[in-house]
Amino acid sequence: MSSTAATATLDHHHDPSTTTGIPNKKLLLWAFLASDCMFFGTLISTHLVYRLHPPPGNPVPTQVFNIELTSFSTFVLLMSSLMMALAVNAIQRGDLKAMRVSLLATVFCGCIFLGCQVSEFTTFVEVKHVTITNSIFGSTFFTLTGTHGTHVAIGVLWLGLMYIRSFKPAGEITGGRMLRTVVHVAVFAAAAGLLFVFIVPGLISLFVEGSGLGAFVHTTALPLGGEVAALALLAWLGRAAGPVDFAVANANDVESMGLYWHFVDIVWIVIFTAVYLLEYVLPAGPAH
Amino acid sequence: MDLALPPDTPGHSSAQSRYHVYVQVAMILAVITGVELLLIFLPFPKALLISGLVTLSAVKFMFVIFFFMHLRWDKVFCTILFFIGLVLAGGTMWALHSLFSVANSIPLTFQP
Repeated sequence: MSSTAATATLDHHHDPSTTTGIPNKKLLLWAFLASDCMFFGTLISTHLVYRLHPPPGNPVPTQVFNIELTSFSTFVLLMSSLMMALAVNAIQRGDLKAMRVSLLATVFCGCIFLGCQVSEFTTFVEVKHVTITNSIFGSTFFTLTGTHGTHVAIGVLWLGLMYIRSFKPAGEITGGRMLRTVVHVAVFAAAAGLLFVFIVPGLISLFVEGSGLGAFVHTTALPLGGEVAALALLAWLGRAAGPVDFAVANANDVESMGLYWHFVDIVWIVIFTAVYLLEYVLPAGPAH
Repeated sequence: MDLALPPDTPGHSSAQSRYHVYVQVAMILAVITGVELLLIFLPFPKALLISGLVTLSAVKFMFVIFFFMHLRWDKVFCTILFFIGLVLAGGTMWALHSLFSVANSIPLTFQP
């Protein structure tokens, strides 16, 4: 079926094969996200309860936060949601190449967000001396934002697996092809990991904290070399190689993954306001 | 800005039309985030700032779930299912906040 014909005949919001008319995968995802709302609801509530009644020894959040950096990472996460929506839109139109580009752009934005979080956590622990054990604020803050960050990391991995899945050949899968897929996954994980663990925090140190080019090169030269090699390998593994078993019929898979990614975004929208912005408007409890 | 979706016409499917809607929504979200950041530095009354921030956050939330997550175009059952979770989460937050706000629940170490 050609992509144009598929676009004209497929209704992506109705599945006649289920009693609800909703694709089962999508229904499962919505049920999971509804339950995850409650999970994050309790974590946010716990943080807010202790912020409204802080015990002695709590740090003053406005002296710890870097609101400009957090706003930047919020913006990046919002743009990643746009890229994800465009990826779903592309596969619904049958444009595989555009979907892959949008997925990689989403991964890139996700890695920048995670890198900002790695940088923030490092500054909290090493410079501000706020750890998960030395104050109630640290305990609730790291638990909440760390859980969200874990969700983002899982989302990045899921996006990567979907990207690699889109290269599955249409014919029979051979042993060599399976090995190639394993290498593809490993290279993707290495590229994403190096980006958010070393390179983005290094760039933040360089441009935001003014650590100097020498320090940046000293700490990130090796990861930077690894990143370039991983990206070159990704480009080589992603080159066109015959027909693939991925088309408009897989739009539901991509959309279900997109729902998870957008959920991570909306949770951050709430965290950004409740945990960060309100601190500047509503300083709670006595200063310590 | 018109976010309405034009009906499907030959050679112009809803998927193609949505591309522009997504970009417009993303721009709105970016602007709202900028306004939020600006708000916290403005010398307005606290009640106004808090209401403004919460409202803007809710607007961003709704834009994402109804446009990016397709609730606007999906079956209403998806909206109901998700809002059940949201209402339960909101109720839990309200209950916890109420429980820990009564005098006997305030930690002994905290004396305002």
